[in-house]
Amino acid sequence: MTSPPAEVRGASSPRRDWQHGRVPETLLILEDDDGIRTALRMAMEDEGYRVVDMARAEDALRVVGEQTVDLMLVDLMLGGMDGYTFIRRARPASDAPIIVVSARNDTVDIVAALEAGADDYVTKPFVVKEVSARLRALLRRGRGGAAPDPGVADRVVLDTAEPALVLDMSAGTVRRGDDSIHLTVTEYRLLCELASPTGRVRSRQSLLDAVWDKGFFGDERIVDVHIRRLRTKVERDPGDPQLVVTVRGLGYRLDPR
Amino acid sequence: MRLPVRAVGLRTTIMLSFAVGALLLSAVMGIGTYLTARDYLVDQRERAAVREAFADASYVRDGLLTSGIEVSDVLGRVAPAADSTVLVKRFDRWFSSSLELGEEDVPAQVQRAVDEGEVAVVWTRAQDAPAVAVGVPLPAVDAQFFEVVATQELARTLATLRIVLLVFAAFTAAAGALLGRWAARRVVAPLDHVAGAAAQIAGGALDTRLPTTEDPDLATIVGSFNSMVDAVHERIERDARFAADVSHELRSPLTALVTSVDVLDGRRDELSERSRRALDLIKSDLHRFQRVLEDLLELGRLESGAARLDGSILDARDLVRFALEESGRDPALLRTSAGPGGTLVAVDKTQLHRALVNLFENAERHAGGVTGVTVAPDGDGVVITVDDAGPGVPIEDRERIFERFVRGGSRGSLPGAGLGLSLVAETVRAHGGAIWCGSAPGASGARFTLRLPSPDVVPDRAASPSEVRA
Repeated sequence: MTSPPAEVRGASSPRRDWQHGRVPETLLILEDDDGIRTALRMAMEDEGYRVVDMARAEDALRVVGEQTVDLMLVDLMLGGMDGYTFIRRARPASDAPIIVVSARNDTVDIVAALEAGADDYVTKPFVVKEVSARLRALLRRGRGGAAPDPGVADRVVLDTAEPALVLDMSAGTVRRGDDSIHLTVTEYRLLCELASPTGRVRSRQSLLDAVWDKGFFGDERIVDVHIRRLRTKVERDPGDPQLVVTVRGLGYRLDPR
Repeated sequence: MRLPVRAVGLRTTIMLSFAVGALLLSAVMGIGTYLTARDYLVDQRERAAVREAFADASYVRDGLLTSGIEVSDVLGRVAPAADSTVLVKRFDRWFSSSLELGEEDVPAQVQRAVDEGEVAVVWTRAQDAPAVAVGVPLPAVDAQFFEVVATQELARTLATLRIVLLVFAAFTAAAGALLGRWAARRVVAPLDHVAGAAAQIAGGALDTRLPTTEDPDLATIVGSFNSMVDAVHERIERDARFAADVSHELRSPLTALVTSVDVLDGRRDELSERSRRALDLIKSDLHRFQRVLEDLLELGRLESGAARLDGSILDARDLVRFALEESGRDPALLRTSAGPGGTLVAVDKTQLHRALVNLFENAERHAGGVTGVTVAPDGDGVVITVDDAGPGVPIEDRERIFERFVRGGSRGSLPGAGLGLSLVAETVRAHGGAIWCGSAPGASGARFTLRLPSPDVVPDRAASPSEVRA
């Protein structure tokens, strides 16, 4: 049986409407279990993605180097190179959101994956609805896709000391002087959230809602790890953060200088 | 017939053995010393008496050889030692140097021997005291010489020696008992350490080990104990690893199954009516399978103590309301009289949510559904109650229902693996709380009461580790 044309599928399911009229995003699935990979591929193709699926991390790295990948779904437990190593190696080349799939939900595993550069995680056994919701949340928050709230400046000077650190929301860039600072999509989104407006305390839960589209059960450690990663890129001394500050018991605040 | 014997402890046994041993030893030594000393002293005394008697006898003979002298005159000139009495028999008449002693004090045995012309030495008693009687014939003067030497000095010496030896034996026995007590303590002390360590291990501190020792006698016990604990520890870890492996092995195929069924479900328009019904059947059973597997794995992790508790502080009412809503129940079932605050708990919200939903589902499956949920502050904790519409739980089953695979009522009448309540109990326990089952007031149903400690009672749960680092 051949798959029906994509237009027919798109019309038959209302949940794919947000994709309508757009070039399909490329989703890389890295999973060594054949059953899961094949099933996920079908499910994600039905969700409207262009899917590239790989069983080995080495092959997936090659794909990341050769073509544009918009999203990645990565299993942590792989034969050969493991998921953590893959994420670390893929990161400089690609700032695409990465969701890791873990069979265990132990603290160490998940935090280690987030530290390596993952944006979010799901645990097996997952349901397709959950995975696609996670993907959609990270994707629609993509760079330049978020319209700044009215009344909030597009251009925020984060650090006036030369060379000045500037967040330009209309251009989707963060620059220190003439140098562009490389942020992942999620780090950039997190910075934009903290900057709209600056100086306001944002709780972990509200950041989870805004950036990851997570509800009551969101894991607040995701926010903490991303804040840490963001600091290493924008702070002058990440060990003594002055720009992205922790407000104990409440959350985080952006203090431009 | 056996007498009831109270068990004697190792310590007492060792102490008594030492005491009895010391007593026996000192008694043997004492008796030996006494007998040897007595024999020697008696022998010495006897020789001295005989020497004295001979000297006196020769003096008496020489005196009597001088003609015309009376025996009494000779006796008057003999100067015997203070405790000696000299008697002389001549021509069947008895003469004595002392008024106290006479013929009757000289044993017949001695008199007979002297009659036959021989010297005799015999132990006797004179005036209630031991004495040596010596008889010497004096044929030259046709007389018989006797001397009775009292040996009170010797008796006193021996009595003193006896007392000294007895006191010494008693002292040695007491010293033995003390030594035994000390030795017993030394022997039992390592056992106390072992018992303490074993108790700690039983309490869950699996990395407890006995400190290594230089003592070659104890090294064996310490070594065996530690290697036993190592083996147990390894066994527990292996079980935990096994659970993790099973988790991976089962979750992967289940994930593939669930995902495939989701794909089918997304395309249900393309299926025939019959296929759709089959698909729905698979979906519902797959969902159940997934729930049971998750419960089983979670339970295993909770019981092995491997589950993390991801602490966040939130209002128990929000938690309950959310659990009711999320599981498709009416949030209005929650009745709460408390004002804001006071019902804060420090919990892993995912785990407690799962526990609450399990509790609701249990009520649904076995007891006609949830009739009411309350949340109220209670001292340094928060109490959540869940009432159901069932017939209640018999008192004898109220503890048992929290065990694994135990179901209330008739076996197999209702779906569910019987894992739900044990998972609830383990989760609540892992949070430092308690759960029990009673009867709903004013109704026939059961009331499950769940108590969770307030955040300030749970140390270090308030701040998640990541927050500290942030």
